[in-house]
Amino acid sequence: MMRNVTTRVLNRKMTPMEKFLLAIMAIYIVIVASQSPKFFSLETAFDLARNGSGAMILALGCLIVLISGGLDVSFTAIAIVGGYSSVLLSRALGVDNLLFIVAGAVIIGALLGSINAVIIHFFQLSTLIATLGTASVFHGAMVILLGSKTFTRADVPQSMLDFGAFSIFTIKEENSQYGLTIFFPIVIAVGVLTWFLLYRTMIGRSVFAVGSDPESASRIGINILRTRLFVYMYVGALSGLMGIIYFSGLAYINPAALVGTELGVIAAVVIGGAKLTGGEGTILGTVLGVVLWQLFQNTLVHLGLSSSFNDLFFGAVLVFMLGFIYLRQRQANKRALVFTSN
Amino acid sequence: MKLARSRFIGASVTALAVSALVAGCGTVDAGGGSAGGEDGDKFRIVTVSKVEGITWFQRMSEGVDMFNDAYGDEVEAYQTGPAEGDPALQVQIVEDLIAQNVDAIIVVPNDPIGIGPVLERAREAGIVVGVTEATQLVGTESIDFDIESFDNADFGVGFAKGLAEAMGGEGEYVTSVGNLTSESHLLWLEAANNYIAENHPDMVLVEPTPYENNNDDQQGRELADELLSTYPNLKGYLTTTPSGGSGMASALRDKGRTDVANVSLTLPSVAGPDLEDGYMDFGQGWDPAGWGWALNSVALSILKGETVATGDDLAWELGGYESIVVDGQLILGNDIQPYIPGQFSDGNYPF
Repeated sequence: MMRNVTTRVLNRKMTPMEKFLLAIMAIYIVIVASQSPKFFSLETAFDLARNGSGAMILALGCLIVLISGGLDVSFTAIAIVGGYSSVLLSRALGVDNLLFIVAGAVIIGALLGSINAVIIHFFQLSTLIATLGTASVFHGAMVILLGSKTFTRADVPQSMLDFGAFSIFTIKEENSQYGLTIFFPIVIAVGVLTWFLLYRTMIGRSVFAVGSDPESASRIGINILRTRLFVYMYVGALSGLMGIIYFSGLAYINPAALVGTELGVIAAVVIGGAKLTGGEGTILGTVLGVVLWQLFQNTLVHLGLSSSFNDLFFGAVLVFMLGFIYLRQRQANKRALVFTSN
Repeated sequence: MKLARSRFIGASVTALAVSALVAGCGTVDAGGGSAGGEDGDKFRIVTVSKVEGITWFQRMSEGVDMFNDAYGDEVEAYQTGPAEGDPALQVQIVEDLIAQNVDAIIVVPNDPIGIGPVLERAREAGIVVGVTEATQLVGTESIDFDIESFDNADFGVGFAKGLAEAMGGEGEYVTSVGNLTSESHLLWLEAANNYIAENHPDMVLVEPTPYENNNDDQQGRELADELLSTYPNLKGYLTTTPSGGSGMASALRDKGRTDVANVSLTLPSVAGPDLEDGYMDFGQGWDPAGWGWALNSVALSILKGETVATGDDLAWELGGYESIVVDGQLILGNDIQPYIPGQFSDGNYPF
């Protein structure tokens, strides 16, 4: 089964966007490696896997929202609220168990996501406006109800510390060691699950249908509310999971963190070829978009550049890719004699 | 019947409104007298933090509360602040306080220049204004005084000494700041690097421009990973944000390395476990509770018509303000707190 899934994923022909991203990535890696020989090492790859895993999980959730034709900016707030509430709950109950903490965060995340879906559906609001509002409401309510105390290593639940420090295998060197974080297989699992849901289930196909054209989708009998509930609960659940990964990885629980970084995630998904107008987007593209983003973010020291260059590179690629996507779209439309605004 | 009832409601609402108006006039009249006149001759001193809820300003409010307890028969002192670190929200709070005609306002500005005009209005209304971390306002009409916890150069030298000791006086080191726009961070590093260049010629700053960690925990960790891989011979790291120090500590911890000296601006509760476990070698900071106390103390002196001069002791029990230096509006304390391994082995952190 597993093998079947992977071959199916890999046998698909790559889109031009994906090829293009791979090319940029390859060129960039060569440049960095030529500047800083230490860059091209397993240790760097493992560092990247560790530091980028949170962003990757958020991006996979974000991809589903974009495919459904929405734009969610509340997922970082949900990650923090889900993660923080769950940690407080486990502390209050004295249950220092990772499964309990993760389950708590995932459930709270899914619940908050369902609130998003209901508001978007019944008030017929733009998803951006609705989630912009709920992001503040969720985070504000958390600060009012639960406070905003930070927990440093001494107060972080032991199970989370162990989780954050766990490597699936470790390579020992003379006076140091490095390992592949447990987050990595989790990210892979989330990727496969997302792929399966999107491409192998009815609900996943209806996400594409709703994203392409909600009107037609509802006429062919797709339940729009159910689809939206699925989309926003799924992204909420992933956000909750990411919150725990984020807090565990840093061994520091700061409820003011993360909020405000959502646009970076959305941009990475868009670079990966997901269309802001809905109906299009691929897992592989998203993965490549996030990896490129993380590469830029984690290599500037190697290149001897200040952190402002990260924004410059990323922004340049974003603008270029968007131009590329829409140019191709227009050409395709012309060929097919389709005359629409997008 | 329906009509009669609504008319009755209307009448009572009007009556209520009128009585409220009258009552309002009454308080304004009474309050219009001498400062601090109405509420039992106590001076009202309000401290406005950058943002409420975080550890740092919770600790500051402890200093304010201690001051309130110690001088309870003369003052009513408390701390408030915006829920987010937003300059505009701070301005609104100060405007409210001016309207309430408090006697003194203490502010830790999010944006010193931006809050200047409203502070000037407070002073025009006869309110004493004290600030900290706002040397840009020294010499303007916006403030009565600015207290800085320490001299920036001394603070930088403190870092340098800690780093030199941890590195054994030799090897490569790099630095990071929150942002290259944070002036005080750059002043500390400049003083630290100069001190090291003069006293420890075998210590080499391999990259003269400090790296940035944007005061972000995740970026602090990513930067540490990158530095460790870019500079294989790195022996020291000096960073001016708590995120920078804990990021390096967590990278060293995961990689099982103890060969890099990690020196950081920090808080005891953030650095404690890392200091104990050997992933941070030296931390330095100051106590925001001392801020709260010192700022209120000077405001009270001014309200009572007393002068504050160099050498005065602000009677802060945890130290740092025994002998202040006064230079016009600028008041310097000497609250430089070193945090070293073993100091918090009992797991009790003051803040």
